[in-house]
Amino acid sequence: MSITIKIFGQLAEIVGSNEWHVQDASDTNFIKERLISDFPKLKNFPFVIVVNKKFVNQNQKIQTGDVVALLPPFAGG
Amino acid sequence: MSEKKKRKVLVSGAIAPEFIANSIAKHSSKTTIGAHDIFLGQVRSDVIGGKTVQAIDYTAYEEMAEEKFHEIREATFAKFSLSCMHVYHSLGAVKAGEISLFVFVSSTHRADAFDACRFVVEEIKANVPIWGKEIFEDATHSWKVNTN
Repeated sequence: MSITIKIFGQLAEIVGSNEWHVQDASDTNFIKERLISDFPKLKNFPFVIVVNKKFVNQNQKIQTGDVVALLPPFAGG
Repeated sequence: MSEKKKRKVLVSGAIAPEFIANSIAKHSSKTTIGAHDIFLGQVRSDVIGGKTVQAIDYTAYEEMAEEKFHEIREATFAKFSLSCMHVYHSLGAVKAGEISLFVFVSSTHRADAFDACRFVVEEIKANVPIWGKEIFEDATHSWKVNTN
């Protein structure tokens, strides 16, 4: 399954886009591994992954229609 | 209308002092309120690597941020005895010296207003997906990092 992942803040700047397409995105671990393999600069960059606007704390399977986003540390206020 | 209805928190640009004054004035008819507490986040002109911040350009994962603001609102009403609460956060460019966050809570007595205001601000900082790009005078930038 190919999915489009939303990317924000400094992560989007490093990736060079607010969106990133991943082929065969079966689960969130796969997405993290692909991200670091495609963008080695992100190896030590802190980020969280959210699926359908919920934080993912352990590996989660990706279903058709899921909205996945990668978020750098928050800096509101 | 219920004070707990879903509201939009994210607003474009700086929050004007006149808007804050009007928000206060609107509460004069609510005479069960005995205490308001207000937090205003203001953009600092920090010096980073010898360059001075002119403005912060805020972006957010807007759909998720509005959901998180709503969750914080519900949690705050559950935890404290409040009459009402209003929160606004800027998106886009806010110049140094301007206001980017406005938290306004009201209660019968001061303790709930003081405690709820702090709670809301800390929750926003920790849980709402918002980012700030600090723009310098030479148009370069760095990314804002929240501290305690």
